[in-house]
Amino acid sequence: MKKSLIALLLPACCAGQVAASGVPAATHFLVTNDDVQRQDPPSTVSFFAIGQDGALAGPDPVSTGGNGMAGGFFGIDRLVIVVNRDEACVFASNAQSENIAGFDVRERKLTGLFKGTVDDIKLARAGVGLARGGDYLYATFSGSGNIAAFRMRPGCKLDFSGEVHAGGLSGGIAEGLAIRGKLMVVTYGDGSLGSFDVSNGLPVAHDDMRYAPGVREDFNPGAVDITRDGHYAIFGGGATQTEVQVADISSGRLATPTVYKLGPAWGAGSVRLSPDERLLYVSNSAGGRVTAAFFDKSTGKLKKGCTSAPLKGFYKSFTYIGAVATELPSGSGGLLYVPEFDSHGGSRIGILRLGWSNGGCSLSETMDSPARGSSGAALLSIGVYPPRPF
Amino acid sequence: MTRATSRQVLALVACAIHFSSATAQPEDCVERASPNSVVENPPELVASAGSLKVALTMRSQEMMEFPLKVCLLGAANGKIVEAPTLRLDPADELDLSLTNRLTYVASSEQTTATSLAPHDPCTGGATATTSTNIDFDGLEIPTTCHQGESSTTTIENSDPAFHYRFRIPAKHPPGLYWYHPHRLGSATLQLDGGASGILIVGGMEKAHPEVAGLPERILVFRQRLDEDESDTWPPEDYRYSLNFQTISPAEEQWPVIQMKPGVKEFWRVANASAQGFLALQIDYEGIAQPVNLVALDGVPVRTSRSLETIELPPGGRAEFIVNGPALGQKARLIQARFDTGPTGIDNAPRQLAQIVAAPSAREPQALATTGGRGRVFRTTRTMPDNRFVTKVRRMYLAEATNGTMGPARFFLTLEGRRPAAFDPHEPPAVTIHVGAVEDWVIANHSGDIHAFHVLHRHFFLLQGNGEKPAEPELRDTVTVPAWDGVGPYPEVRIRLDFRVPGSAGVFEFQDQISNLAEAGMMARFRVMP
Repeated sequence: MKKSLIALLLPACCAGQVAASGVPAATHFLVTNDDVQRQDPPSTVSFFAIGQDGALAGPDPVSTGGNGMAGGFFGIDRLVIVVNRDEACVFASNAQSENIAGFDVRERKLTGLFKGTVDDIKLARAGVGLARGGDYLYATFSGSGNIAAFRMRPGCKLDFSGEVHAGGLSGGIAEGLAIRGKLMVVTYGDGSLGSFDVSNGLPVAHDDMRYAPGVREDFNPGAVDITRDGHYAIFGGGATQTEVQVADISSGRLATPTVYKLGPAWGAGSVRLSPDERLLYVSNSAGGRVTAAFFDKSTGKLKKGCTSAPLKGFYKSFTYIGAVATELPSGSGGLLYVPEFDSHGGSRIGILRLGWSNGGCSLSETMDSPARGSSGAALLSIGVYPPRPF
Repeated sequence: MTRATSRQVLALVACAIHFSSATAQPEDCVERASPNSVVENPPELVASAGSLKVALTMRSQEMMEFPLKVCLLGAANGKIVEAPTLRLDPADELDLSLTNRLTYVASSEQTTATSLAPHDPCTGGATATTSTNIDFDGLEIPTTCHQGESSTTTIENSDPAFHYRFRIPAKHPPGLYWYHPHRLGSATLQLDGGASGILIVGGMEKAHPEVAGLPERILVFRQRLDEDESDTWPPEDYRYSLNFQTISPAEEQWPVIQMKPGVKEFWRVANASAQGFLALQIDYEGIAQPVNLVALDGVPVRTSRSLETIELPPGGRAEFIVNGPALGQKARLIQARFDTGPTGIDNAPRQLAQIVAAPSAREPQALATTGGRGRVFRTTRTMPDNRFVTKVRRMYLAEATNGTMGPARFFLTLEGRRPAAFDPHEPPAVTIHVGAVEDWVIANHSGDIHAFHVLHRHFFLLQGNGEKPAEPELRDTVTVPAWDGVGPYPEVRIRLDFRVPGSAGVFEFQDQISNLAEAGMMARFRVMP
C-alpha cells in the first residue's frame, strides 16, 4: 500500500533524471539509517515517501541485518545513495556489527552485508562513515581507525578491495570523509585534516596533513563536503559558534583553510552544499538549529545567511541534529530535512523551508514538522532519492 | 577510653610510623569493605601538639583488568590503612609526604623525561598517566609548591617522597575538606580508582554547639570503575561507593548504616566523585526526613536550617544532624531525582544505603571538643556589601562536541574572549589586586550541568540555582544548572573578597567535574600584592 502511494507522489521535476538512471520512476523518497542499538530485532533503514508538498509519509522500515550504535560523530554519513546507470542502491552502515548493509532501491530489500577485515571488528562506537568515489564505496571504521575501499558490483553488492589505517597528526581516528574525482579529503578526531589519492581505488595518503586553524581554541573539524568541480573542500565541526572553514584543493592537495564565522549557533556538525552550490547548509548539531550561508563557488567565499530558531522540541524531544538532506536534487534543494537525534529511540525528522527577503534568507519549520521516525530510531544520517547530482 | 585519649594515641602512631620503618610496605592496595556490610568511619590520623606528620603512598592494583584501584595508603595503629581522615585544628601544621608508586601503566609505555637531572616535581616536566599530586581541596592555604599548588606539581612514580608542608590558617573556618589527586591528565582516573580522603579542621562545635558530643559519622561518596568501564567510559550512569563499599542497586548491594534507634548523629558527608551530582535524602517509610544543616563546603552556615534534600555537586561537602529511625522502621539513604540537563549523564533516583536501627549498633565516636590552647575559632565571615565591589566579571561554561559521544571540548571563558581549553603554560586569564572585591557571574552555555569551583578560596554565593539564598553563604563549589534550550542561559553570581591579607597568589577556578576540567574547563587568576 505504501509503495503504491509512493508511485503517485513523484514530483515532475525528478522523473526524467530518475528514469535516466534505469530505476523505475516511481520513486521520490527519504531514507534514514535508524542506527538502532538494541540487538533484537536488528536495526533498520526506513523509507518515507515524499509528497508533492514535501510532506513525508511512512515510515517503511527494512531490516539492515545488523545493529547500530545510536549515535557517534555528527560529521559522518552512515548512509549513502548511489545511482548507477541501471540501478540505485542504498548503503547503510551497522556500526555495532561493523558492516555495511546494501539495499536495492527498486526492491527495498537487503542485498547483503559487507565487511572489511578482521581488524575492523572493533566496536565502532563513533559510527562507520560512508562515501562514494567513482566505482568505490569507502568506509571509515571508527573502531579500527581504518578506511576501507569496496568496489561496487551490480545488484547493490560490494567487494572488499583493501584498507589503510588512517590516523591524524595526534593519532585521531578518521571522522568526516568526502571524495571528488581522485581526491579524498578526511577530517580526524584530533583536529587534523588530510587528503588521499584514490585514483587506483585504495587510498594513498598525500603529505598535506595539517591541523585545522583554531584547533587550539574551540574548533574541531568533523564534517566535510566538496564542491562539484573539486575546487574547494568545506569543513564543519564542533565549536561554540557556527564556524566553517574552506580550503582550496584544486592543486590536488589541501591548502590552508580560510575561517568563516557564520553566527553564534553552536557547532557545524554537518555541512552540505545545495545542489546549485549557492548555499551551504550547516547543521548546528549541538544547538538544535540549521544555518544557511551564501557560497560563491567561483571564489570559495562564504557570507552569512540565516539561522533557524531551535527546532521544535529541542532539549525536550531530542538533543542533537544530524546532517541536512534536501528535498530536490536541483536549485537550492527545496525543503530541508534534518534528523533530530534522540538516543532513546524517539528520533524525528525536522522539515524546514528556506525563504528569501531583501537579499537575505530565513529558515523556518513547516507546519507539519517534525515527522516521526521509525520506532527505536536514533537518527543522525538521512538521504533523499534522487540525490544531489554530485 | 575518651575521645581525647584515643586521639592522642592515634597522633602518636601517626608521628611514629612510616612505611620505611615501622610498617611493611604492601605492593598492592588494601582490601576494601565488602558489599552489604556495616559502614565504618575511615581510620583517622590526628594532629598532636600543633602538628600532624603523615606518610602516604599512592598505589594501584590490577593493571590490565578493571576495576582499577588507586589507593592512598597510610599507617595507623601499626596497620596499613587506606585514605585516612586527617584531623587538624586551626594553626596546626600538616607535614604530609606523598610517595607515588602507581604501576597501572607499564614503564615502557611511560613518557619519560630526557634530562639526566633529578626530577623536580615543582617544575612539572614530562608527565605520564601515572603522574600525580595532591590538592587539599577547599583549604585556604597558599598556592605555592609543597602547599596548595596542584596544576604544575608533578610527582612521578620514580620520584622520592614529596613533602607537603603548611599550616592551617589560625582563622580558618572549621569543617570538612578533602584531599585528592589534581594532576591534569590523570586526576580523573586516580579519583575514580579511589584516591581521595577527608581532612577535618576542628572547631565545628564552636560555631554550632548543638553538634558537640554527637556521634560523628563520616561518609565519603566516590565514583567507581566497573569491570566493563573500559567499554563505557565516560560512564552512562553514575556508579558510587560509600566509604569504599560498592553501591549496586542491580545486585542489591547497599552499605548498611547502623544506628541506635532514635539516636541523633552528626553526619559529615563528602561527594568525592569525579562527576556525580548527589541529591541526598534520608527516607523513612517513603517519607523524606528533615535534617539540620550546619555547614557547607567546610564552612559553618550562619544559621542552621532544616532541609529534606542535600544537594552536593562533585567535590561538595555538607555537615548536618540526622535523627535516627525508630526500631523496625524501614529507612534508607537515597539519591533523589536530580536533573543533570538535556545532555547530562543520567542520574536516576536510587537507594544509596540501608539505614538500620538496632539497639546493639555501635555508634561512631562522639565529636570531641577541640582547641583549649587559647585559640580563637573563627566561625563566620561578613560579606562585603555592594559598596565594596570593585568589578563585575562575566564568564561562561561551554562545550563544543563533534558527536553524541564526543570528542568534546570544554571551556571556561571570560565573556568577550574566544573559548580555548586551559593551558597551564598560558598566563592567568584574570589579574586582580589585593584589596579588591569582585562579583563574578558564571553562565552555563550548555545542556549539561556543571559545578563551578574556586580552589583554595571560598566565595559568597549571591545567587545560584535560580534562587537567592536567604543569606549569603560561603562556598567553594556551586552548581550551575544546564540550559534547557529556551530563554536566557542559567547563571550563578558569587562574590570574592580579596581584602584579607594573604590573598595574593595564583588560583584556579574550574568545573569541579574532574574529567571536564582536565579537558579544558579551567582557568586561573592572579592576585597581585
